[in-house]
Amino acid sequence: MKRHHAVVRITHWVNVIALTIMVASGLRIFNAYPSFARRGETFCCYPFAGKPIPASLTFGGWLAGARNWHFAMMWVLAVNGFVYLAFIYLHGEWRDLVPRRGVVRDVVEMVKFYLTIRKDHPRQGKHNALQRMAYFSMPIVGIIAVVTGIAIWKPVELAPLTNLMGGYVWARYWHFWSMLLLVILTIGHVFMVFTVDPYSIPAMITGRYREDLSPEARNARPFVHLLPRNE
Amino acid sequence: MSEPSEIRDPRRGRGSHPAERMGIDRRRFLVASGGALGAMVLAACDSMGPRSATSLLKFAERKNETLERALFRHTAMDVPPAGARPAGSHFPSYFISDEVPVWDEAARGAWRLDIGGMVTKPLQLSLADLAALPRTGYKLDHFCVEGWTAVATRTGVRLSDIARLAGVQPGAKYVDFQSFDNDYHESWDIESAMHPQTLVVYAQDGHYLNAAWGAPARIYSPVKLGYKNTKYLTRISFLPARNGGYWSDRGYEWYGGV
Repeated sequence: MKRHHAVVRITHWVNVIALTIMVASGLRIFNAYPSFARRGETFCCYPFAGKPIPASLTFGGWLAGARNWHFAMMWVLAVNGFVYLAFIYLHGEWRDLVPRRGVVRDVVEMVKFYLTIRKDHPRQGKHNALQRMAYFSMPIVGIIAVVTGIAIWKPVELAPLTNLMGGYVWARYWHFWSMLLLVILTIGHVFMVFTVDPYSIPAMITGRYREDLSPEARNARPFVHLLPRNE
Repeated sequence: MSEPSEIRDPRRGRGSHPAERMGIDRRRFLVASGGALGAMVLAACDSMGPRSATSLLKFAERKNETLERALFRHTAMDVPPAGARPAGSHFPSYFISDEVPVWDEAARGAWRLDIGGMVTKPLQLSLADLAALPRTGYKLDHFCVEGWTAVATRTGVRLSDIARLAGVQPGAKYVDFQSFDNDYHESWDIESAMHPQTLVVYAQDGHYLNAAWGAPARIYSPVKLGYKNTKYLTRISFLPARNGGYWSDRGYEWYGGV
């Protein structure tokens, strides 16, 4: 029994590439006008107006290059995301991701465990409660990123959509925030993979996973019990 | 105006992975995969990305254009949010010449806007001729390719009205807007040019255009990004084929629709 179906594994890695390029090229586009205010106005809610993102985090070389990448890669991101969501819906994997009853309690228990307030790893299924919440919110934020992106791509042709988000300026702001949330979720995810469950990396490549090396079996928290228990 | 102010800015970036510190038997695997990913990121972040991707990006641009043209409606109109404040003097000025382009009447004679190409009746319109034509004004958003917007009231003549006067021939599928700002020009699809909010603008915020904003006349439509909207107009040509453009020839998408 594979831990992840091939469709999930492939869409995961396609997403790594697509999301990386979308974020980096998006930041390059943002740098052409690193503010949100309409000309002649001020904007309430962005304290870093006028300060560009460090160029080393951007991709595309220049504004046109970044735009060309962004408007090509958006199809890969959107289609890949759609394939993933359609697959987990039809194949049943969504059950491992949607919040269960008692999710708040489970999240609290996981946090207690990570803070060493609780000694033993809470019982879990495929994912712990924190993972569940992260993997559940990621597609939702992704959908918001796509929809806000469409809204600022076509603010005249699809004006009703843009107006729904409060107009172009706000749609651009929400687009920025959805990117930021995706980046934060991704950083958290990668950090936890490497510090808690590096054995899940092969599982996302070949699909094979040793349950006896799961974080629950190792009683693992970040940097603690990375090695198998009885070796 | 919203035209890009930068041509190239290649930058380097580096990515690293914390795979190095893993004291487990899969260490090698992790280091290798982390290294491979890091190398990928490095290669990708090197300026503009792999050269081989250019044709793929061009392909995506053509497909996007097809979709954008299918989405395009003459009934989709730009209406700035009610509370949006006009940019007024904060409206950016943009031109490619070294100095603000000013029509030199002594050297070039009185300014005229040529309407030509595939028309049955070529026109030469003075500013007074334009002002005498049916006047249309809108409070409009300006969408710059850089990401900013600005609101201004644009007053002028609908290009569709001028096209009717000139008798545009059925084979004309594209329109080119030529300026006296060096060789600046941009060509459009005719559907966008005939949008009711596509205007030959001679006044902004109730005053005749000043030199910084494209005097004596410019094309303006909210359905196109700023760089498509040629200022310092000299000639509008109806064409059977597209004719590129200043920024379109330098890597920005030709369609540039909003």
